Amino acid sequence: MKRIFLAVLLAASCAAGSAHAAAPIARIQAMLAKPEQLCGRFEQSKQLAGMKKPLLSTGRFCVVAGKGVLWRTLKPFPNTLRLKRDEIVHLQGERVAMRLDATQEPTVRMINGVLFSLLAGDLGQLETLFEVDGSVAENGWKVSLKARSAALARAIGAISLDGAAYVRSIQMAEESGDKTTIVFSDIKTGPGAVLPEEAALL
Amino acid sequence: MKLDMPAQKRLALLWALVVCLLVGHNAWLWLGQRIVPDTDILALLPLDERDPVLQQSFTHMVDSAQQRVVVLVGAKEWTDAQRAADAYRAVLAPHGALIKFDAIGDEAQAGWLAGLQRHGSLLVGAAQERQLREEPARFWVDSAMARLYSAFSGPKLGAFRDDPFGLFAGWMQERAGETPVRPRDGRLFVAGEGREYVLLTYTLKQSAFSLGAQGAVVPLLDAATLAARGAVPSAEVIQAGVVLHAAAAGRQASSEIHTIGAGSIIGIVLLTWLTFRSVKPISLIVLAIAIGFLGALSVCWLLFGRIHLLTLVFGASLIGVAQDYGIYFLCHRLGADPQLDSPRLLRRLLPGLGLTLLAAVIGYLGLALTPFPGLRHMAVFSALGLVFAWLTVVCWFPALIGPRTLKMGPLARSYRGLAARWPRFSNQPAALLLALLVLLLGVFVAAGWSRLKVNDDIRSLQSSPPALVRDQIKLSKLLDAPSPVQYYLVRGGSNEEVLQREEALKRRLDPLIKQGDIAGYQALSNWVPSLRVQDERQALIDTRLLAGAGPLAQLAHEIGEDAAWVEATRAHLRANSEPLRLDDFLRTSASEPWRHLWLGKVEGEHASIVALRGMRYASIPSLARAAEGLAGVQWVDKVGGISSVLGRYRANMGWVLLGAYLVVFAVLFPRYRGRTWRVLAPTAMASLLTLALLGFAGQSLQLFHVLALMLLLGVGVDYGIFMQEEHGRGDDAPWLAVGLSAASTILSFGLLGLSGTPALQAFGLTMLLGTALVWLGAPCFTLTKEEPHVSPVLA
Repeated sequence: MKRIFLAVLLAASCAAGSAHAAAPIARIQAMLAKPEQLCGRFEQSKQLAGMKKPLLSTGRFCVVAGKGVLWRTLKPFPNTLRLKRDEIVHLQGERVAMRLDATQEPTVRMINGVLFSLLAGDLGQLETLFEVDGSVAENGWKVSLKARSAALARAIGAISLDGAAYVRSIQMAEESGDKTTIVFSDIKTGPGAVLPEEAALL
Repeated sequence: MKLDMPAQKRLALLWALVVCLLVGHNAWLWLGQRIVPDTDILALLPLDERDPVLQQSFTHMVDSAQQRVVVLVGAKEWTDAQRAADAYRAVLAPHGALIKFDAIGDEAQAGWLAGLQRHGSLLVGAAQERQLREEPARFWVDSAMARLYSAFSGPKLGAFRDDPFGLFAGWMQERAGETPVRPRDGRLFVAGEGREYVLLTYTLKQSAFSLGAQGAVVPLLDAATLAARGAVPSAEVIQAGVVLHAAAAGRQASSEIHTIGAGSIIGIVLLTWLTFRSVKPISLIVLAIAIGFLGALSVCWLLFGRIHLLTLVFGASLIGVAQDYGIYFLCHRLGADPQLDSPRLLRRLLPGLGLTLLAAVIGYLGLALTPFPGLRHMAVFSALGLVFAWLTVVCWFPALIGPRTLKMGPLARSYRGLAARWPRFSNQPAALLLALLVLLLGVFVAAGWSRLKVNDDIRSLQSSPPALVRDQIKLSKLLDAPSPVQYYLVRGGSNEEVLQREEALKRRLDPLIKQGDIAGYQALSNWVPSLRVQDERQALIDTRLLAGAGPLAQLAHEIGEDAAWVEATRAHLRANSEPLRLDDFLRTSASEPWRHLWLGKVEGEHASIVALRGMRYASIPSLARAAEGLAGVQWVDKVGGISSVLGRYRANMGWVLLGAYLVVFAVLFPRYRGRTWRVLAPTAMASLLTLALLGFAGQSLQLFHVLALMLLLGVGVDYGIFMQEEHGRGDDAPWLAVGLSAASTILSFGLLGLSGTPALQAFGLTMLLGTALVWLGAPCFTLTKEEPHVSPVLA
């Protein structure tokens, strides 16, 4: 059970952090920009088992080195996920819908560790959990991740990413049949990237 | 009784036959039958207080833990911790036959969740169950919407439609919270105090108490620790296991045998030689005691068919009194006229010797009146031992020690004169002086006693090295491990009843978690709720989430799904609410870490254990109270249980000791009449003073002190009798016998006061003080020649 739980959390973190996962490692690492802070828009489409229509949502996300990750769904309703070094907080509007901290769930720190090492371009860390298979073209790269452990694979299924200096999109296909696609756009880096209301949350 | 030479010889031969039988029987028992003394301290409880289900629960909790070695290898960085742990494992890997690594079956367990999915709708975390009762429909719609749209909304199991409201996920998270250990990169991981640790667990293939296993395993563990530090110098290695404590205790014992034991033997041999200019006496005395021991063991085994280790050790100590019989005879032989042959000398000594035996045997037999099997066995064992040793002295010593065997050594010569110059309580004392002295002693004793505390806590007898204890504490804290010796035992007529009773108990424990008394509990009902609770949950989920226009229908409306979707999802969730039965759960791999909590069917009852994490010792009374009034629930505190056994043995033995004084007085009275008090007074006074001194020294009274006082009564009465016996012609043989016996007692038992093992130290210190005081006090109560004797010698 611990294994599954870990796998699930890792799946979440890997997806969130996979802004830069890639192989062949050296060349992809060379292409990635690795900024201190990075914000942008996302469009997410979920196709869930048993549902006819895909669920669409849009919002903004920020990744700030040394601070964490902010995932703000704006439409169809506001909903924020914040990952910090020692905690994962889920805000529904203003209300804290879920808080998981490292003292009650030790894997939280690990998840964020993986995340931060991803941001730092430390793809070696990712390789401990996944078999990384990728291809590099002139204007970008594609990577597919296959979990090394059966438990992790069962929980998250297959993940693939593509991008250039930044990740452009993520696809997740779970064994349960649920599919998620996230496309990033409007990516900004540097001091002005993080909006004031986002800086307040981070 | 008339003993002429041939009669004496016949007696010696007859006794030789008996001894041969004893040796043969013992050899058959130890070598042929391979008998093993009992070690379970609860076997010492009165029969009607023993409980097979409780016993089984101890076995479950303790025996498996006993064979474990748990190791944490930690470093600041996870990669370093892994490297150090790999180095550690590499050292132990070739020794799987001795100590086996408990592999974690990551891949094999990957599929275990599938087994629970069919029951997923019924598995709801406690917090969410409360929310189900309290929160409005909107709450559940919002929560499901958030899970729908958020990319990573926390733990998620299976497809969305398997768990739209996140109930099963919440339950999993709660279960995960029962242990801080997590798999990570194919290893087990735990974090704490700024470090990341790899958890390694090993199982010993031989008993942790086997000396062979200790000798082989402990150096290996040390080598593995060195290897881990070699690979990563900053690595921290924390090891815990019963085998480490047992080995440390063994090391301490063997080093003490080398120092205390050697000192004791050298001292006694030297003493004997300086007294008799021969070491033959000491070998004869050892022979007598050894025959006493063998005889006691043989007869006890025939009587009881078993023997407890504690009986053996304590009984053997009490047999130590038997040295007095030999010494008494030898000292008289030394002082007697060479014309007097040994059988005739013995005949003259028989009344005194007989009385010493009678007094000690009767004193010890008092222990048999208590309801405790350990004390009863001890009484029979030591009384028999004394009889056998006494018979050895009477049957063999006259034949083995002739009139000219012994010569007076330098020590004996210089010591003899002392007695004459000793201060005495005469029959016409200066009343004022005596009263003053008694008053002074009384004040001293009262002051000492007022400081004397009682402590039966078994933990105070623990003498493990501080480093081991520190490691153990740190490890349990990091692993948040439940206590193996304090828990609840839950019984019922069926699995269902046991689970329901666990749930009732857990409702009482929840407030204690809030107060910080415990961090949490582990119970099978956390995993498998009782069928009653499963039924209630199903009804709750139906009415609060699935029914009519409730949250499920509202959710469909918001995401644009139709009534068919609602119906399909409802049917899907209901299909996943097959009742989970305990037996089925126990067959899954998910149950593996928890199976030890289920005792199953014992003696027609079903029983389980509810274990506690993060228990505070100060909370034990409130935890005990939590079980009160709950049918089938029992609070179990093995530490407290053993401590209370020790305490009850101490109290009982204390009363027996008082009774023994009275009985011995009665036995001696016909012979000594008005002098009887003089026989007992030195021992009684020495015992009182010893207790007072222990009080001043800040010692806490426990079983081992009282046991020593019992032995002291045995030897002390001997000294009193020796000193009161009349042998005429300015005989100083009794004084020599007392001195020699007391000095040997101090050298053998008293030196245990230097032991680092608290129990032995308590015993030794009491014997040291007590014997010295009796020795010093005994001559004060003798009468000088001129004073009248009340009773004639009956021999």
